[in-house]
Amino acid sequence: MPELGSLVHAAIEAAEDDEQVEAYAEEGRQTEVSALRSQIEGMTFAESRGLGVRVIRDGRLGYAWAADPSEDEARGTVWRARENAALSEPDEHNALPDPRASESMPEIFREQSVIVSADDKVKMALELEAYTVSRDPRVSKVDLAQVGDAVSRVAIASTTGVDVEYARTDAWAVVVTLAVDGDETQTGFSYAITRGLDALTWEPVADEAVQRAVKMLGAVKPSTAKVPVVLDPFAASSFLGVLAGALNAENVLKGRSLFADMVGRAVGSDPFTLVDDGRRLDGPGACPFDAEGVPSGRTELFTEGTLQGFLHDTYTARRAGDGQRSTGNAKRGGYRSTPGVGTSNFFVDPGDLSYDQLLARAEGGVLIMDVSGVHSGANPISGEFSVGATGLRVQGGATGEPLREMTIASTLPEMLSGVAGVGSDLRFFSSVGTPSILIGEMTLAGV
Amino acid sequence: MLDRDLVADVLTAARRKGGDFAEVFVEERSSTSIRLDDGKVEELTTGLDRGAGVRVAEGTSYGYAYSNKLDRDALLEAAAAASAALRGDAAGPIVDLTDRFGPGTNRASRAADSVAAADKVAWLREVDEVARGHSPEVTQVTGIYLDSLQRRLIAASDGRWIDEERPRIRLVAQVVAKRGDVIQTGWDGPAACAGVEFLDAHPPRVTAERAATRAVTMLDSIPAPAGEMAVVVANGCGGVLFHEAVGHPLEADAVDKEASVYRDLVGERCASELIDGVDDATIANGWGSYDFDDEGEPAQRTELFRGGVLQGFLQDRLRAAKMGVQPTGNGRRESYASPPIVRMTNTNILPGNEDPDQILRSTAHGIYVRGLGGGQVNPATGDFVFGVSEGYLIEDGQVTTPVRGANLIGRAIEVMGSVDAIGSDFETWEGVCGKDGQSAPVGSGSPTLRIAKITVGGTGA
Repeated sequence: MPELGSLVHAAIEAAEDDEQVEAYAEEGRQTEVSALRSQIEGMTFAESRGLGVRVIRDGRLGYAWAADPSEDEARGTVWRARENAALSEPDEHNALPDPRASESMPEIFREQSVIVSADDKVKMALELEAYTVSRDPRVSKVDLAQVGDAVSRVAIASTTGVDVEYARTDAWAVVVTLAVDGDETQTGFSYAITRGLDALTWEPVADEAVQRAVKMLGAVKPSTAKVPVVLDPFAASSFLGVLAGALNAENVLKGRSLFADMVGRAVGSDPFTLVDDGRRLDGPGACPFDAEGVPSGRTELFTEGTLQGFLHDTYTARRAGDGQRSTGNAKRGGYRSTPGVGTSNFFVDPGDLSYDQLLARAEGGVLIMDVSGVHSGANPISGEFSVGATGLRVQGGATGEPLREMTIASTLPEMLSGVAGVGSDLRFFSSVGTPSILIGEMTLAGV
Repeated sequence: MLDRDLVADVLTAARRKGGDFAEVFVEERSSTSIRLDDGKVEELTTGLDRGAGVRVAEGTSYGYAYSNKLDRDALLEAAAAASAALRGDAAGPIVDLTDRFGPGTNRASRAADSVAAADKVAWLREVDEVARGHSPEVTQVTGIYLDSLQRRLIAASDGRWIDEERPRIRLVAQVVAKRGDVIQTGWDGPAACAGVEFLDAHPPRVTAERAATRAVTMLDSIPAPAGEMAVVVANGCGGVLFHEAVGHPLEADAVDKEASVYRDLVGERCASELIDGVDDATIANGWGSYDFDDEGEPAQRTELFRGGVLQGFLQDRLRAAKMGVQPTGNGRRESYASPPIVRMTNTNILPGNEDPDQILRSTAHGIYVRGLGGGQVNPATGDFVFGVSEGYLIEDGQVTTPVRGANLIGRAIEVMGSVDAIGSDFETWEGVCGKDGQSAPVGSGSPTLRIAKITVGGTGA
């Protein structure tokens, strides 16, 4: 089995004179263990590797990929990508990036995590489930109690001189609880992601999943009203994916973003600053360079409410012109897909208000703990959204009666200009992170 | 794809610690995707994927390991890893592997790989031209063409050996329309388990026209109202609603975990008596159809509701064995990289007798939903939500102004109980369903139906 480095070099050596070739190879090992009723529910070991090749010839782009190729098959992949390039149309902005120096980030690979044994992972999952169902008499069952970890390596080489490799580790715990009171069932979700299994403290995940379910017991459907809303980090993070789509330069350049003509404008209110920073080590998306080998960096999208610009990869930067450089935001779903613009650590800059201070400013309003249907109910092109929500009524500076079967609806600009306060409790969920956010007023639909 | 003796050796290794059964799933998938965007064919991608997964099950516990290397060593290593979760020490037997044949539900009469890539590119150009020609307000068009051929081998310690091919094809048009500051979008994307003959019945120009019409129509929309009201759901859309709100809680894994609102309701009336619902993997060339599921169980048509009475659940092998019932052929997986889980196939509300126009005429006030963007349900509580991608006001029995930014939110049992009219005009819709991190192509279908009262979440008055 060829090393990733030799695989990508074998591929680019198959380049012909009048073309650019980039080879991206990745390999990963992943384990997931879930526990149910004091037994292992499922244990999955995954191992995969693959190669994706981009060929650019006369401005035409072709792509081909192969699972676990030999060096010969890697060269064959170049040949197929070349064949595909012949059928696409020329675009002068298609080009591979030139190499840029990048500092390595050894911190994202944690050797101590790699050596955790399968037996220890099983033990951890069983303990996680047992602990979860011991915290509250109303929570005697879980829907999911899982721990997992992944080790991955990436190598990228190109005929323009990019030649990079890195390795990373990730570990996570997920709990979904079922709280039962009489005929009523409520669920509670929590999640944590860290660099390694050895660094994973799962008790808070279990405790939070229990609390989030129990607090929802007795939920009622509220009346339709316009009220102040606090989005907790779980709920707020759901909107970041929609914002990321609208701040993706490809969407902007192709007329698919409402923010296209708004750079320099105060779209959001003062407390709202939104950043993408691939070098921030406490974010799960930390990475020395992006999926084209361009070094990760820090990009402010909104600074105190003012739209600064967009996330770029090499293609969108060239097409935007005006000296725009890639912001190091080329991402891919894996070796099977071409790179496109995506986020690294995409987060709302925390403010200085505590959670209690935010609640005190939302008197008569609602704390939203979860939103649902975001993938279908929020449109990053028009900026409109209407999503399902659950949460707690805010009264006297504290949370009270649980609420269900309601929706919150608005538009992205209205929501951003309505940000009345940002909490200090920044929390990352995969590659997006946010603190709790207070919105002055939103339409809440119920009865 | 793999030698029978090798597979038997892998199964034997997987049963070294016993368990109820061991299973090998081998897959080879070739695929083509072409994307036209911004007036240009931007990308043509071909891929060849292959790999194998080994599963060992005991009760409802399982170990699963996969590899995208298909050599003997890699497969035996996967078998060892999958069986590591078991605690027993007595090896289990392997029955001689014998072919099982299916009816050929998904036959393609013209295979996608028999068509030149240039012809596929021409279909996308047609999408671009037709959509842009529809209106000067159309400002952007994306056309996506996808085809794939998946060949699967499923072998298990009880002797089953199944080799099945599944062809897939899909053509999608996404259109953006703009007027002043208002941007709206429209989408259409017919799909099937078929060859390119599917596009004779669903020509690219019709797909483009539909998507463009939706986007331009929605430019005239006003913000949707908020609050409880009657909703008429157009034919095709109700199946998506049924899939999310009812189908997911009827999946036996949710039932087994006591995380389903329907868990104690088999034999009870828990939907309007107008509701007859099925999950049917045997529909010829259906987007969610197959001969055998991904555990090697034969596909079937499973009755879920008859006259509003719950008939049973959707089962995989593990859950069926535990509940003491027959599997229903609903064990599916995204690829060799995932263990099978309980999934729907083509989930339909069956047609009734009413004239769909009459259903609208008899609705004094409410919303008419012609497009649903998908939804989400919490199976344990039955709470669900759906985004409305194309909706209109109903005023005095007439469909009037388009509305935007609407969604529907409700509780499965209440909403299915308040269906008070079912039309005769059955139509299908093809989607991709996500569950436990795996996506699966699913069909759904329904006639026009009316929900007497449901919460619409909008911003308007």
